[in-house]
Amino acid sequence: MIIELKDIHFNYGRIKALQGITLRLSEGAVGLLGPNGAGKSTLLRILLGFLAPQKGEGRVLGYDIRLEQSHIRRYVGYMPEDDCLIPGMDAVTFTAHFGELSGMPRQEAIKRAHDVLFYAGLGESRYRLLETYSAGMKQRLKLAQAIVHDPKLLFLDEPTSNLDPQGRKEILELIKDISSKKDIQVLISSHILTDIESVCSDVVILNKGQLAAQGKISELKQLHFRLYEVKIKGDGEGLVKKLKAMGYKVDETEDKLLKVYMPAEREILEFFRAAEEEQVQIRRFVRSQTSLEDLFAKAVGVD
Amino acid sequence: MTIREKGYTHWDGELKERRLPWWPITWLGIRLAFKKKYFKFIYFGSFIPAFVFLAGIYISERIEDFRYMIKGSTRILEVNPAYFKTYFTSDFLLFMMVMILVVSAAGLISDDLKYNSLQLYFSRPLEKRDYLIGKAAIIFFFLLLLTVVPGFLFIIFKLLFSGGFHFIASYPWLPFSVIVYSLLLTSFFCLYALFLSSLSKNRRYVSILIFAAYLFLDILFGFFYENFRKPAFALLSLKVNLQQLGAYIFKQKPAYPVPWYWSFLILLAICSLAYFVLRSKIKGVEVVK
Amino acid sequence: MTAVIETSKLSKWYGNVLGLSDVTLQIEPGITGLLGPNAAGKSTFLKLLTGQIKPSIGQVSIFGRSVKNNYALFSRIGFCPEQDSFYEEMTGWEFLTSLLKLQHFSATEVKPRAERALEIVELIGDKDRLIRAYSRGMRQRLKFAQAIAHDPEIIILDEPLSGMDPLGKRKLIRLIKDYKGQGKTVIVSSHVLPEIEALTKNIILIHQGKIFAKGDIHYIRDLIESHPHMVFIKCADPRRLSSLFLGEDYVLKLYFGPGPQALLVETNNRDKFFSLLLSLLVKNRIEVEEITSPDDNLQAVFDYLVGK
Repeated sequence: MIIELKDIHFNYGRIKALQGITLRLSEGAVGLLGPNGAGKSTLLRILLGFLAPQKGEGRVLGYDIRLEQSHIRRYVGYMPEDDCLIPGMDAVTFTAHFGELSGMPRQEAIKRAHDVLFYAGLGESRYRLLETYSAGMKQRLKLAQAIVHDPKLLFLDEPTSNLDPQGRKEILELIKDISSKKDIQVLISSHILTDIESVCSDVVILNKGQLAAQGKISELKQLHFRLYEVKIKGDGEGLVKKLKAMGYKVDETEDKLLKVYMPAEREILEFFRAAEEEQVQIRRFVRSQTSLEDLFAKAVGVD
Repeated sequence: MTIREKGYTHWDGELKERRLPWWPITWLGIRLAFKKKYFKFIYFGSFIPAFVFLAGIYISERIEDFRYMIKGSTRILEVNPAYFKTYFTSDFLLFMMVMILVVSAAGLISDDLKYNSLQLYFSRPLEKRDYLIGKAAIIFFFLLLLTVVPGFLFIIFKLLFSGGFHFIASYPWLPFSVIVYSLLLTSFFCLYALFLSSLSKNRRYVSILIFAAYLFLDILFGFFYENFRKPAFALLSLKVNLQQLGAYIFKQKPAYPVPWYWSFLILLAICSLAYFVLRSKIKGVEVVK
Repeated sequence: MTAVIETSKLSKWYGNVLGLSDVTLQIEPGITGLLGPNAAGKSTFLKLLTGQIKPSIGQVSIFGRSVKNNYALFSRIGFCPEQDSFYEEMTGWEFLTSLLKLQHFSATEVKPRAERALEIVELIGDKDRLIRAYSRGMRQRLKFAQAIAHDPEIIILDEPLSGMDPLGKRKLIRLIKDYKGQGKTVIVSSHVLPEIEALTKNIILIHQGKIFAKGDIHYIRDLIESHPHMVFIKCADPRRLSSLFLGEDYVLKLYFGPGPQALLVETNNRDKFFSLLLSLLVKNRIEVEEITSPDDNLQAVFDYLVGK
């Protein structure tokens, strides 16, 4: 169990930021979602060992969040949302410096800095001054300094912000690779749901200081009835009529896009047979799931 | 035969707690200072008085050999506590210390504020006091090297060239004074520079501030003193306050008839203000917004 | 549909730094997505459209009139920039009303317009708070409000969803789609391709200062000949299924996996392939779980056109 929180309460003066959060997370990649002001940043601060909750207890990586905060920070990597660098130096010095501050011996820090910069895709530019870096490079630099000391827990705050489509794809691939290792827990806070879906297996949704939903994305999204998204080529009218006659429920959402509800007793094969008879090509056939967006909206209690 | 595994690899070392967690900050700060264009020039230039005074010690001892050249028997150059006081409170030395601060210390905190790197520091096992100690140690390194080391070298040279220990015997408190005054100068300038550095995100602005505040207060003092002739105005100038204290510590007569403890109180007040502002500025930066 | 915006041989250099090179296109009413790598020329393009900079070669015309110095035209365009720069000491209300006054609306018109705009973006409750106190999402919505307050016919949005939480994004997307329904022209520039896909199928891809693609995503995908189409099939016995179409020459490549029940086919003729697939499934009574086209999306189109 990497993160265990029991009934955490935190107030900033009179503002109740967290009201009774109980959470248990083990290995894997977890997405942290929530509307602005839901308490995500406060939760991260507590997990990072930076704030102590007024009530409740917890352990991160086995260390108590009240008494052993600096131990937590030794084994945690943090990739902040804002750009951060130190002017006048190159990437190797920068990364090695933060490795040293985490407790690595100097030479080890330098060695690991090179490895990590290559991994993050900054190999060619690691000797250049940081002020010359583009937005995408700064993002990778932040990731590099977060993993240089081989943390057991990695916090990524909006890791794809300010990146162009290529950069986003590459960072997401790096994150997927890191979280595929069995012994690093990755916690990603992001507003871009497609990113969370592509990287994370679990999700934690906060709202108004409380836990609104938590669990495996695939389980949460699963619809318990057989709804399929179908894209066709050809004249769909006949097919829709036939399907309805067979007891299916069919909704045409967009041009050539159908939502087909298959009754329990029907076989998939019958659907395809009907399509062939009507000379309609089936170009897309996939089980519908709730979108993460709908899940989010439902968890947060909006429309 | 093996092939290197693609993808993320782990590090097989162990993270250790450091004895001095702030040491990397200090070492980095010192290296970065030396990379700056004018720093080497200014820093080594500030050692010139040290060399001059060292030479003076040599000459003052060997002046016996030149005695026959000189009419009269008075010593021209005498090495005594006043000599030390002259070195340590010289306008040039104090000014050079301010210039060193301008080049090496202006960006210490302001750069971190501007480029948001405080978040990275505090997500490490680093306390706020460690961060401040690390930054302060950079300034301590440069300034102590400029004060304590020459001070002790003077004493050693004097002993060497005079061939005996009677110098130390007559002024046994002198090494102690050297240490105390060096620490005083260094601590004051350190807090002064870090305080100003935490006030702004713009390094250029801070460097102007460090320079201008020092100069402005001195000019202000000069203006009021010339016009009103009240010695109390001496307390306006940072330079004069430091010099008054220097005179007291080296048991010399101060330049202005103002008791030394006033100067000390003023400097202490500034240091305390600096300390509290620093703590609040660093505290005010959250790791996660 | 008549084009609302037309450019002809539009080019812009900054000294000798390339901005945009030889862009000739028309934009019709509706939502058009604008995408491209960093420094591709997107912001240059938008600035040229809104008249903020003058072209080095070529011209831009909106509603049939040249943009050059045509201030009357500007009141028909709304622009929501990417940068976050406000007068922090103003309240949201003051900010919006002062901009409206700059648009020459009389005092009696300014108030209802500002109110309506703030209601639409749901900032009406916070209108008297200082902008300094606004959260990221609120600033974004305020930017949007100033872009629509004067009822423009053309709305240009540069990264409008950045920094907003998923619910805010949803609302804004709905709002933008409303504008399409009203017959207005909306140009949305973004790096987050799934968000563009949620808004529109019509895109313009800029890279290295040139237009690399313009039109419907799916048609563009069809045109990319160098990358044949991929079809992903999940069924109980993929190997048996594949053996049935191995003989066809429009089946170019076959990949098995991931997992024992999956199959990925590359084909250069989707029509023939899907017809064949359907008849094979029915004739051989094969239970299929999933059929999808993994590269029929914007990210794939982007990668194929721009990627290394």
